[in-house]
Amino acid sequence: MATCKNDSGFQGACMTRRAFLFRSGAAAVGTVALPSLAGFEGKALAAQVARYPRMKIGKLSQLVKDKPVLFNYPDKGAGSQSLLVKLGVPAGGGIGPEGDVVAFNSQCTHMGAPMGGNYQPAHQALGPCAFHQTTFDLTRHGMVIAGHATESLPQVLLELKGDDIYAAGMLGLIYGRYDNLKTKA
Amino acid sequence: MAAKHSTPFYQPPDKVPLPPANAETFTTCCDYCVVACGFKVFRWPAGSPDGGPKKNQNALKRDYPLGPLAAGWVGPNQYTQAFFNGKLYNIAVVADPDAKVVNVGGTHSIRGGCIAQKVYNPQKPTQDRLLHPMVRVNDILMPVTWDFALDIAAEVSKHVIAQHGEEAWALKYYSYQFFENTYALSKLALKSIGTPAIAEHDHPSKVDAAPGWTDIGYDIFSAAYEDFALADCILVSGTDPFETKSNLWEYWFLKGIRENKTKLIMVNPRKTSGLAYAEKHGGLHIDVVPGSDTPVHMAIARVILENGWEDKEFIKNWVNNFWETDSGFGRGTRNTPWQWRTIWGMFQVNGFDDWKKWLLAQEESRPEVAAKIAAIDPKKIYQAAEMMAKPKPNGERVKTTICMEKGNYWSNNYLNTASIGNLGVILGCGGKPGQVITRLGGHQRGGSTGGPYPGMKSPYKVPGRRRLELDVDRWLESGHMHFAYVVGTTWIQSMAGSSALEDAFKRYVKLNPHQVRTLNKQAIIATLKKRVDGGGLVVVNQDIYLRNPIGNQYADIVLPAATWGEEDFVRANGERRMRLYSKFYDAPGEALPDWKIVAMLGQKMGFEGYDWKDANEVFEETCRFSRGSRKDYNAIRVIARRKGMRAHDFLRAYGTTGLQAPLLIDGDAIIETKRLHDYNRKDIPETGPEGATMHNKRLLAFNTQTGKLNLLKTPWKYWSDFYAFMQPKGDELWVTNGRINEIWESGFDDYARRPYTQQRWPVNFVEIHPEDARARGIESGDWVVVESDRVPVQTDLNLGVKDGEMWFDGLMKRGHIKLASGQFSAVAIVTPAIKKGVAFTNFLHENSPANAITPRVPDPISQNYRFKLAHATIMKIGESGYKRSFAQMSFKRRDIA
Repeated sequence: MATCKNDSGFQGACMTRRAFLFRSGAAAVGTVALPSLAGFEGKALAAQVARYPRMKIGKLSQLVKDKPVLFNYPDKGAGSQSLLVKLGVPAGGGIGPEGDVVAFNSQCTHMGAPMGGNYQPAHQALGPCAFHQTTFDLTRHGMVIAGHATESLPQVLLELKGDDIYAAGMLGLIYGRYDNLKTKA
Repeated sequence: MAAKHSTPFYQPPDKVPLPPANAETFTTCCDYCVVACGFKVFRWPAGSPDGGPKKNQNALKRDYPLGPLAAGWVGPNQYTQAFFNGKLYNIAVVADPDAKVVNVGGTHSIRGGCIAQKVYNPQKPTQDRLLHPMVRVNDILMPVTWDFALDIAAEVSKHVIAQHGEEAWALKYYSYQFFENTYALSKLALKSIGTPAIAEHDHPSKVDAAPGWTDIGYDIFSAAYEDFALADCILVSGTDPFETKSNLWEYWFLKGIRENKTKLIMVNPRKTSGLAYAEKHGGLHIDVVPGSDTPVHMAIARVILENGWEDKEFIKNWVNNFWETDSGFGRGTRNTPWQWRTIWGMFQVNGFDDWKKWLLAQEESRPEVAAKIAAIDPKKIYQAAEMMAKPKPNGERVKTTICMEKGNYWSNNYLNTASIGNLGVILGCGGKPGQVITRLGGHQRGGSTGGPYPGMKSPYKVPGRRRLELDVDRWLESGHMHFAYVVGTTWIQSMAGSSALEDAFKRYVKLNPHQVRTLNKQAIIATLKKRVDGGGLVVVNQDIYLRNPIGNQYADIVLPAATWGEEDFVRANGERRMRLYSKFYDAPGEALPDWKIVAMLGQKMGFEGYDWKDANEVFEETCRFSRGSRKDYNAIRVIARRKGMRAHDFLRAYGTTGLQAPLLIDGDAIIETKRLHDYNRKDIPETGPEGATMHNKRLLAFNTQTGKLNLLKTPWKYWSDFYAFMQPKGDELWVTNGRINEIWESGFDDYARRPYTQQRWPVNFVEIHPEDARARGIESGDWVVVESDRVPVQTDLNLGVKDGEMWFDGLMKRGHIKLASGQFSAVAIVTPAIKKGVAFTNFLHENSPANAITPRVPDPISQNYRFKLAHATIMKIGESGYKRSFAQMSFKRRDIA
């Protein structure tokens, strides 16, 4: 299977499958680091994420399982509504001692419906979207369970410093935006 | 505990370029499902400035960021790069945000939404497109020139036809990959060569998919999409449109449910998101066991009749009586369809009263009996009848629509389509807004036939009946096929009993002593001639990718085809809407469109009529052969010629709206057709049956001699013996199959080459009910083997002289059935969304073929395969990595409402 080269104007960090399957890092307890990768894909990702603001969005000790906390990231503009939730089960990109605290942008990546109120505790899912019923798996990096979205729910990269939770970056493009960090026309 | 570090398999960028205001804009439609959402393609040179977020700065003419439900987002999967005229361009493929029809407002599915990733890009997963013609030498496919490859194909073809007869030359092809291509291919096979050995991708013979409706008089695509928003009640059998015709759900069905309070009845052993939503909004789920539909239809009809809820007025005006049923209208009594199929009044009735009497006398029409066969709650039968037929409190009739797909007809093919059609007849379905009966469709409608099927050349003459069309799989297996031109289909995995079929390829292609060991053209031709003269088979495979095993193991010659976006093409969707699909980038390497390859081959074989200069010339030739059909589009050519335009360019001007066929001409105007069987229609032009447009009976009536509908008997005994054999025994489960929302067809574009889809579906899956899983120690994420050692394969045609000999028990007794083994491995998904006792898998995974266990026993009446029926044991062999990895696959329920 092909890898994506990052030259001559090609967009996108398309990760090699081998590099990312079953990845486990050896970072210090309590932090999630960007994956350490050989090759320039890792550098591209790190460079991408480095441009994001770092924002405190909550405290680990205050999170209640299955009670999402809504916040805005990376700004307060259209489409910035996001959701932080303690799932109670380990999840991809999850922080905290149980690895179960995740955050995602909450606009459906099909056609932009707000889904902040559509958390399903029984399934650790977001959805079904009120517009066309797409559902997203919050334990597996926000991938579509069933539905029409052409992108997983953009995942907010989280960092834990003591009891403080910080949003430090985002994977994927927010619906409706052409650049996550540009909010104005 | 340390955090488990995981990153998504597919990581899209967080910014995507907008097309600039001066980007070139093309219109096209999606290449995938039958709905054919309209798309816009934007193209601008790589390295030139991108667009800006203000509406006058970008080609979408919108302000970004967009708000909720605002279409026109250019997300990561809508962007790619490709070469055009050898130069690199940025490409954005976006669901038409200004669409006025079909995907109004720019809705789309996950498949079409990502179609930009289909585009050939040598630095992305599509890089392994076939680039050069290849010939197999010492079992390695070696690139050669077009002339080299086609000279061999032509010479061997001519030899096969001269020495072994045209019936030894076979075409196995897709029925839908644009009119220009299907026309050229079938013109070569039918008009020029005249072979009866021709079959489309989903049948072993050239037959109808829904023969019960053919005999009743219903056209299979009679509805307009707006009908789904106008009905009071819709019976949906054998599909969930959310999954496989997503935009029909997203726009039209939801419109009905939300604005019109439409109630859905969904007949399906399995629940998915659309069904769950419909149920939550007053709908009914009839969770039949596979293959049990006919008694359920009969029982619903019985309840309707016993309550007097049938549409008496409609029946009086539109159902054939005794004389009408038998009438010839110039064709004679021996030309009515069921008399082609069988004899002695097996299905024919003498009008409504005769049919009613017959139905009420059937044991299987009793709701309790039918419910037992289908393993459902009998209350659901009564409930369905009420929803479909009980008059409203004000006395008005319920506007009922019936639609179906393969869960119904790739099963008990003749009887299921006939019995659900009967329900339509007694409820007055057909031709009125919100009261239609239609297939929903699978793929788009791009079939054009370039010649007559030479029925007389089929050897299948059964006593007292017409000749049956030749069954290409059986023909191959019995050694009569010596040249196979396989275009755009995997063939083996797409046909039932696939492991036995593959054995046949092995025998006749690989195990034949005459294998090519030189790149000397004449020597190659001589070797392949010796192979066919020695009883073997030569395979030419034409496709866009090398498929396993038809291309990479069995093809002697591989030809690279150009596809969607690489040529101007025309096709219709499920509501007969014709659009021009624009070329916007270069085909890879030396790939050529199928029509062009056929033209070159046809000329080398010495045939006339293959000197088309471009795709438009082929299209214009197909126009007049569309006259009188459900897609009559001859008007396009006629009016285009009057305006001095090419037909392609004329249609291109209609953008993503297109023209809805059949098309009629009134002066210089084109009259479109919204729905068929529209007997209330008033706008048929006076220049009806003359001139360029043909009056088409199905415009204003039904498709029988009289124009009225036939009711049919549907005796359970013609199914019950086969069904008894297919029942799971011992530890077996029913294993049925179908499409899944995120994947199109054999996955050649998506799970094979689209990281976003590979993230979701890296491997084939099998859904299994929690109780069945527990009994087998299976958990979600486990690798399982699905296996049967009793896959029935019918080895030869049965003449069926005596009563009972053509049915399954008779076939078994007379030795026409061998039992093969078949198997595939998959990852288990344990979910209560599938009915207990039934498992579900993807219907066409290249390396995990569901058809390895499906029975190769065609319906004796219709010759179609029972793809949706199989039994197998399911056994865990270990855990897959996907069980605990977070990066790929999800095991969450797909029926959350």
